[in-house]
Amino acid sequence: MEPLIHIENIMKIYNPGENAVHALDGISLDIATGEFVAIIGQSGSGKSTLMNILGCLDVPTSGTYILSGQDVSNLDDNALSEIRNQQIGFIFQGFNLIPNLTALENVELPLIYRNVPTSERHECAVEALKIVGLEHRMRHKPSELSGGQQQRVAIARAIAAKPPVILADEPTGNLDSSSTREIMKILHNLHDSGRTVVLITHDVQIAENAKRVVRIMDGKIESDKTKEEGALSCQNKQ
Amino acid sequence: MSQFLEYIKMALFNILSNKVRSLLTMLGIVIGISSVILIMSLGNGAKESITEQLSTVGNGQVAIVSMGSERITIEDLEYIQANVEGVQAYLVTTMSEGTITTPKGTFTGYAYGCNENNYLFEQYSTLSNGHYFTKEDYDAGRMVCYIAEDDAIKLFGNTDVIGMPIDIEIQGKRLSYTIIGLTSYVTESNSLISYDYENAPIYLNVPLSTLDQRLGLNATQTLGYTDATLMLASNINTQDTCNQIIRILDSRHNCLGEDQFIFQSFNDILATINVVINMITLFIALVAAISLFVGGIGVMNIMLVSVTERTREIGIRKALGAKTRSIMLQFLLESGFITMVGGILGILIGLGGAYVISSIISMAMPEYAFTPSISPIVILITTLFSSSVGLFFGIYPARKAAKLSPIEALRRM
Repeated sequence: MEPLIHIENIMKIYNPGENAVHALDGISLDIATGEFVAIIGQSGSGKSTLMNILGCLDVPTSGTYILSGQDVSNLDDNALSEIRNQQIGFIFQGFNLIPNLTALENVELPLIYRNVPTSERHECAVEALKIVGLEHRMRHKPSELSGGQQQRVAIARAIAAKPPVILADEPTGNLDSSSTREIMKILHNLHDSGRTVVLITHDVQIAENAKRVVRIMDGKIESDKTKEEGALSCQNKQ
Repeated sequence: MSQFLEYIKMALFNILSNKVRSLLTMLGIVIGISSVILIMSLGNGAKESITEQLSTVGNGQVAIVSMGSERITIEDLEYIQANVEGVQAYLVTTMSEGTITTPKGTFTGYAYGCNENNYLFEQYSTLSNGHYFTKEDYDAGRMVCYIAEDDAIKLFGNTDVIGMPIDIEIQGKRLSYTIIGLTSYVTESNSLISYDYENAPIYLNVPLSTLDQRLGLNATQTLGYTDATLMLASNINTQDTCNQIIRILDSRHNCLGEDQFIFQSFNDILATINVVINMITLFIALVAAISLFVGGIGVMNIMLVSVTERTREIGIRKALGAKTRSIMLQFLLESGFITMVGGILGILIGLGGAYVISSIISMAMPEYAFTPSISPIVILITTLFSSSVGLFFGIYPARKAAKLSPIEALRRM
């Protein structure tokens, strides 16, 4: 079967010329539908650049990126916006909720840009909030929610439009340990319900949650391990 | 389309969630638009009021003036009255300064020589006693005159003066007249045009023929006059009739094409006055429009601040799939709404202000009262202008917002 994400020999070079920085130096990676992959690396390893490219926030300097069978390596701004809207659910470290919108309105955002009619949009958003267990707080503004709750709203926003890929960038970086457990549990549940989750982190313990860990160093893939048992033991711990 | 509605909702939401800021931004536009509307409607109202009042002044009177050496003769005028349709009467006048002596003293005054039609051309006085002199009096050169009641009081301390003799010495010659009529001034209420009757000079209205004969003034019967006034019927085209009269005069004097004669109607004067008022109104409105421009820059300024402040929000929206167009539309709608609402408020305030000012004027100075007036076209143009100010000054900030890279925008905390 064709992989959901197929990247081949991706290069990302900043400041081309004398002081060129090779943030990504020939990365190739396949991620199949339904996988739970952690991309791990120290700061400066290139994992954020990789995340930007995987999330279609940026395009590679060279190489090929095929997402759901479509080549997205050379698209313009507007086309990338559309791909992000259709294909990717983002979960950010800083939650990135719009402060003056309610939880529900935040979750509805990607659906607005997808032209989903109002009633259907509302339904999808409420459903997503139910999945993260926040349907009772959907009229609250982000400032009235705890960090863990805000991140759950962000997850609801990421899954509301049912995109094939959920891209989580240090989703627990700003959270305490109990909220972290909560968020990881939700990510596990999402994976169990068949969604593809890509988790980007510098934290080995968090990466342990995933079934496959890709380690990035100096813009290259250092290791790519699938550890069935590790993931299971992690689940047992909870 | 449903998406467009969403953007309108978003724009309104953002305006409402920054109420104070939106109001302050709007204020610039409100001041600009309201001053333009205020000036335009006051200027227009004043113009209409002046036009209305002056249109009664002219009252069908047209002056024919000789610009060259040719003179207008009585024969010319008789011929014109007989042959041009709508010419009802003609008036020729001359004025000589002299010293009037009465039992009460000596006064400086004028002998106002005119023909028997003079009273037809008088709009601000009416006969109160006695009678005007007639064509017979004129032709016979009878030494009769009529004067204003106010002048009678000055000259005799009495209005019971019919039949009294009155002497005027002009250029060393003594002319003795008999008063046969008294006139009184008609005070026009609510008129912009007022005469200072108090200090008006004293006039003796006398048959022009008597001045000709006694003073040998300008032998008018043969030499003619430099100007004459015609009374035209109200149902004819003044312009066409005047052109016809000028042609007749030119051909009678063998000077076709030499521009010896011109005419002046009150309509011309009215048009000149209107041009002046229009220019003044336009000038002040332009000055007011500068404040509108400044208001527009205020909108741009605030929108730029808003873009900077909401960089993160823009980043989030873009990451979630907002296209350049969507972000741009969102910001343009916001600035457009602010200026549109500001424009509507400005129109209302401007009109309200104009009515307040005009009612203050009519209370304080009733003789200058007028109603402000504004054409719907001006309102339409102003509204369109204020919205386009919003769009124009919103484009730069909106583009700036839309072009933000989502990565950059999200990185900023």
